[in-house]
Amino acid sequence: MIDFWEIVRRSETGELVKERDFDMRVVRTSKKMVEKYDLKFNPEEVIPSDDAMVDRLFEAAIEYFLTVGIYCTDTERIIKCTRDELEVALNASTDQITWGKGRDQRTQYPRKVEDPRPPFCNFTLVGTPYPEEIFLQAAMSTAKEDLADCFSGGSILHTLGGIEVRSGSPAEVEAAIWDVGKRREAAVRVGHPGKGMYTQVSAAEKADAMIAAARPEFGALDRDGMLMGAIAEMKVDYDRMKKVAFLLRATYPLGGLMGPLMGGYAGGPEGSAINMVAHLFLGRIAFMTEYTNFFPIDIHETCNTTRAMLWLTAMCHQAMARNTHMLHFANTFIAAGPCTDFACYELINHGVTASVSGAALSPAASARNMYPERCTGMEGRIAAEAAHAAALSGMTRKDANALVNKILPKYEDKIKEAPKGQKISQCYDLKSVTPTDEYLELYQQVKKEVGEMGLDYSLVGSRRH
Amino acid sequence: MAALLQQMKAAIIDGDPEKATALAQSALDQEMSPLEALEKGFSPGMSVLGDQFEKGEVFLTELLLAEEAMNAAVEVLKPKIAELKAQTQTKGKVVIGVIQGDVHDIGKNIIKLFLSVSGYEVIDLGRDVPVREFIETAQKENADIIAASALMTTTMIYMPELIKQLGERGIRDQFKVMVGGAPVVRSWAEEIGSDGYGRTTSEAIAEADRLVE
Repeated sequence: MIDFWEIVRRSETGELVKERDFDMRVVRTSKKMVEKYDLKFNPEEVIPSDDAMVDRLFEAAIEYFLTVGIYCTDTERIIKCTRDELEVALNASTDQITWGKGRDQRTQYPRKVEDPRPPFCNFTLVGTPYPEEIFLQAAMSTAKEDLADCFSGGSILHTLGGIEVRSGSPAEVEAAIWDVGKRREAAVRVGHPGKGMYTQVSAAEKADAMIAAARPEFGALDRDGMLMGAIAEMKVDYDRMKKVAFLLRATYPLGGLMGPLMGGYAGGPEGSAINMVAHLFLGRIAFMTEYTNFFPIDIHETCNTTRAMLWLTAMCHQAMARNTHMLHFANTFIAAGPCTDFACYELINHGVTASVSGAALSPAASARNMYPERCTGMEGRIAAEAAHAAALSGMTRKDANALVNKILPKYEDKIKEAPKGQKISQCYDLKSVTPTDEYLELYQQVKKEVGEMGLDYSLVGSRRH
Repeated sequence: MAALLQQMKAAIIDGDPEKATALAQSALDQEMSPLEALEKGFSPGMSVLGDQFEKGEVFLTELLLAEEAMNAAVEVLKPKIAELKAQTQTKGKVVIGVIQGDVHDIGKNIIKLFLSVSGYEVIDLGRDVPVREFIETAQKENADIIAASALMTTTMIYMPELIKQLGERGIRDQFKVMVGGAPVVRSWAEEIGSDGYGRTTSEAIAEADRLVE
């Protein structure tokens, strides 16, 4: 497989291009590929069952990736590879990761489209900020969830010990070390000391802080992951690539964090789908990724539960599941906040869509990931139970499409006014770290309603991934 | 002339630089004022797309292709550009960038595009811009507005630092400060003493217009 240091070399010798010109290549190439490969978003078929179109998407993404390449913002050069190099890299990727240790150990395998095995689930707070005083309880709310095969926490809200946590400052390193320690403490406190962390740190943007925190004495287990994010669209920089140099010498899995923007440089749902699958390739080539977390976002709605975003999610994960054995998570981003029926509907729709499309699941960012303290382990539970129910009941894409289409009218027209919901301190008892009766009852009502629409929850909990 | 202006608008909406070039040349050949060609022909095309973008009917792709067509037209009109500049009043000058430590710049790029189309002169400092650079550029360029964006909670806290340093240098009242980005909400923008905030492009432009009134 193409060597990382060869990629670094190409970042120093590839074509020199102004960033604006690279962006325009993304614009033009995505537009061209949508037409060439005849990709069409059908609002009625939110979860498509068209394998031929799914495979055309994969081919379009390959051509787009080979044409556009990866832009390195530090050198202003384009990293390119050949089709052979890409295919070898994809084939050489691991087809399993064992997370955690001891009785909490879980092994993740790739899934197929309409796979009856439930998705591997990472429960996350997606970097939602919490004040120092309740950071631990927030992480405990994800770590303690039964369906959480692995977990991650939130981010620190502005200060630690009275010092502002600024990107690039010494406090960022301290916050990263504190973060991984608190996450591990959260796992210990809920009786899962060996539960894997799919990312060790959310409190840091810079590589040096993340690398500094990745030590066993601070709380990292050997197989806790570390994420490297691409810069939208199709860009990397040396700060991110520094993590690769570190991770190739360490035991931690290499993770990709890809948040392509629907409505951005790659255009509408079809172009953005091509762009998202191409980010799987970007990660594999530039970051040597072993797993990838995808959080595509609608540029206007800042979520991925709209009709177009569910279509994009379904198409992309099907394309990856049908054509690779790579491990890919669908990261749920919802518009509404905790303890609202609106949020429940969004979470269920995303969980079901990801599940039948062959993805692993990473729920959830709530309240558009905008508001501090508005994300809890309960949102993960709601999405994951729906995803498990869909898989265990043998739901087809067609059935899932019918269900999702019944749920969408409950929120799609009101998405701009989605309620921001409750803070974790309002919808959880933070002493016991349990959801309030109000939240549990609300979820039970929605679950009953969705059950009557056709989602069979009866087998949830009977089988793990 | 009316038909020509309509064609100009269409060339921008279609994102067709070749057509825009030819139409700009026709305008000069027919002795149309370059100002009229821009204001009544090409710019309305951008306005239409801007409205459609806000509604989610078109995407950034179409805006960027339209901008290219617009640039192609301006290139042809360049011989008259001095005259054009003499006649054109910009709404104001904006120094824009993604704040220190942050590299996520699509949101900033969209606002930059809309500000330009709306009649502002925009100086783009790019991503990961130190607070000092915002201030020194604003001083050097005699800017009206400093606009900063952030995607991360660990970078947004450089925004109050920006406002604080303007105060410490005794120049806070010389510039209006606007902030935005995914984790930035209005209440926080107000709390840190920002003059303006925009969640959406239209909100940001309206705020800028209010600030330079």
